[in-house]
Amino acid sequence: MRDDGRDLETADKWEVQLRKGCLELAILAALWDGKLYGLEVLRRLESDSDLIVSEGTVYPLLSRLKALGLVQSEWVESDAGHPRKYYALTSAGRPRVRQMAGMWTRFSSSMSRLLAPLAKGK
Amino acid sequence: MAMSDDMSGDAQPRIETYLSRLRQRLRGVNDRDAREIVEELRSHIMDKAAASGKASGESAGEVHGELTPAAIDAALAGLGSPEELASQYITDDLLAQAEVSRWPLRILKSLFRWASLSVAGFFVLIGSIGGYFFGTVFILVAVAKLFHPRTAGLWVFPNGGGDFEMSFRLGFGSAPAGGRDLLGCWIIPIGWLVGCGLVMLTTYITVRFMRQYRKSLVLPQG
Repeated sequence: MRDDGRDLETADKWEVQLRKGCLELAILAALWDGKLYGLEVLRRLESDSDLIVSEGTVYPLLSRLKALGLVQSEWVESDAGHPRKYYALTSAGRPRVRQMAGMWTRFSSSMSRLLAPLAKGK
Repeated sequence: MAMSDDMSGDAQPRIETYLSRLRQRLRGVNDRDAREIVEELRSHIMDKAAASGKASGESAGEVHGELTPAAIDAALAGLGSPEELASQYITDDLLAQAEVSRWPLRILKSLFRWASLSVAGFFVLIGSIGGYFFGTVFILVAVAKLFHPRTAGLWVFPNGGGDFEMSFRLGFGSAPAGGRDLLGCWIIPIGWLVGCGLVMLTTYITVRFMRQYRKSLVLPQG
């Protein structure tokens, strides 16, 4: 019983690490189609992936991606009565996210091949 | 009507208290960046609070409802405490700086700020100072050997109590009595190799620790 609980905890930790690892790629990918402000990035992650992350994580990460030159930001006045900070991929960010996506696709397809027997229940 | 015009009397002080605590803890982040962070989060809190009370089917941008204290509290809770949030901004800032420039002085400057925030940062700072110090000593002795070939180097000499001491000497003054220059002219290539190696290894390990620490701060929900 106790071992089962420990196994579940280990599985949870592994899943958390897995999600953390692809957060940067997910944020950059969310910006592929155009500029978004922080809350829209969060909503995009929620709707298009299982990556539901805390708001306090996404904003510092956007700030770091900007410092790295992968995204740029601009303030835009909104109908809501206050300006919003929009993020967009830079000319350096677009090839970088394409490269990361390629790596991810190759990695996930090779993992899928490896995991195929498990899915079939063999 | 703009949201800010509809804001309830209780809502604004809650937001300002949170942002003020955050601003205080963003020490080390330059003023312009800190102001942008605060303004961006203010905008987020207002959007999030408005969205939480919105009628179904409307997007956040279309909502012009009143911001209730409960909605504001929920928006602030979503961001976490100002201390945790500031810590994430600062370590992200440090990591970005360290990745843009691997210059040891830049790394050390970032480490001093990290050390002021966490125990982990303090220990990494101590280790890095040690690594950079010994790396620099090796390089300095290698350079000094070119100018003081008879006295600079890695020396072993009797300390008077029957034991021997080993020390790096830059060659100013006379050679220690009864001492022996262990490496001779080999200190020049060895000093450069070991010194540069230590500096690069220290930088590599430091950035790795920073990345690990940053990852540990990411808090996925669900």
